Amino acid sequence: MTANSKYKRLISARDYIADHYHAPFSLTEAAAHSFMSPFHFLRAFKANYGETPNEFLIRLRISKAKQMLITENASVSEICERVGYASLGSFSSLFLKQVGMAPTVYRRTLWQLSNEPFRYPIQAIPACYAYHFLRKPGD
Amino acid sequence: MITSIAHVTVYVLNQEEALDFYVNKLGFEVGEDMTVEGGFRWLTVNPKSQSQLQLVLAEPKEGPMFTKETASKIRSLIEDGAFGVGVFETDNCHKTYEELVAKGVEFIQPPTEQLYGVEALAVDNSGNWFSLVQRAK
Repeated sequence: MTANSKYKRLISARDYIADHYHAPFSLTEAAAHSFMSPFHFLRAFKANYGETPNEFLIRLRISKAKQMLITENASVSEICERVGYASLGSFSSLFLKQVGMAPTVYRRTLWQLSNEPFRYPIQAIPACYAYHFLRKPGD
Repeated sequence: MITSIAHVTVYVLNQEEALDFYVNKLGFEVGEDMTVEGGFRWLTVNPKSQSQLQLVLAEPKEGPMFTKETASKIRSLIEDGAFGVGVFETDNCHKTYEELVAKGVEFIQPPTEQLYGVEALAVDNSGNWFSLVQRAK
């Protein structure tokens, strides 16, 4: 298998995981999209992307959840389900581990900082960009 | 000690069109896409195998740092091809070139042998130039 072909197979499996982020994860199913054994797929994925398929999925789910928490009014339980977690406890623990604060605290903190409903506060982006595009230092 | 580069700005004429180009033609993925208070859209993309370096797709608009005139000048410069995005690496320049041509990506130079590898030169749908390089081994 050429490097190019292997990379394409990995991308196909990675895209499959991303497209089904809200569904229960199966390593065997994901590996099937790369035409590799689960063991081979796991190793190749980690070597290529620097994270395991499960770590990639968690990152994606938390990223989606963060966006929903800020831009929507849905409850944390509903968001938890929509990003693929059956247990609110597991979701909250993972969120806390990844983001550094609980989902409710994350939402409350960012909503309090923003002057507009359902939009991210200026502090959510690097200051050099905020100052460049939104306001000058000291304003 | 600085350990890495996290974000690099690419000025584009239209974020939505640039997003289509970088995602649907080059095969990048969206890193972050969020609307910040004030209406500014923070939009980043990255190659799927490199999530640690984000390209910030930003439109030059009138604001704190740009007057209307400056923003307009920058837009003209982008359209004129005065800016280069940088170098994107591939493991097979000829093959990637063919794939991108089939997707409608405009190339200024086909794959050519250089001292540092095989390089093709393309342009994004705003007018930014970028190299596609297969490093010499």
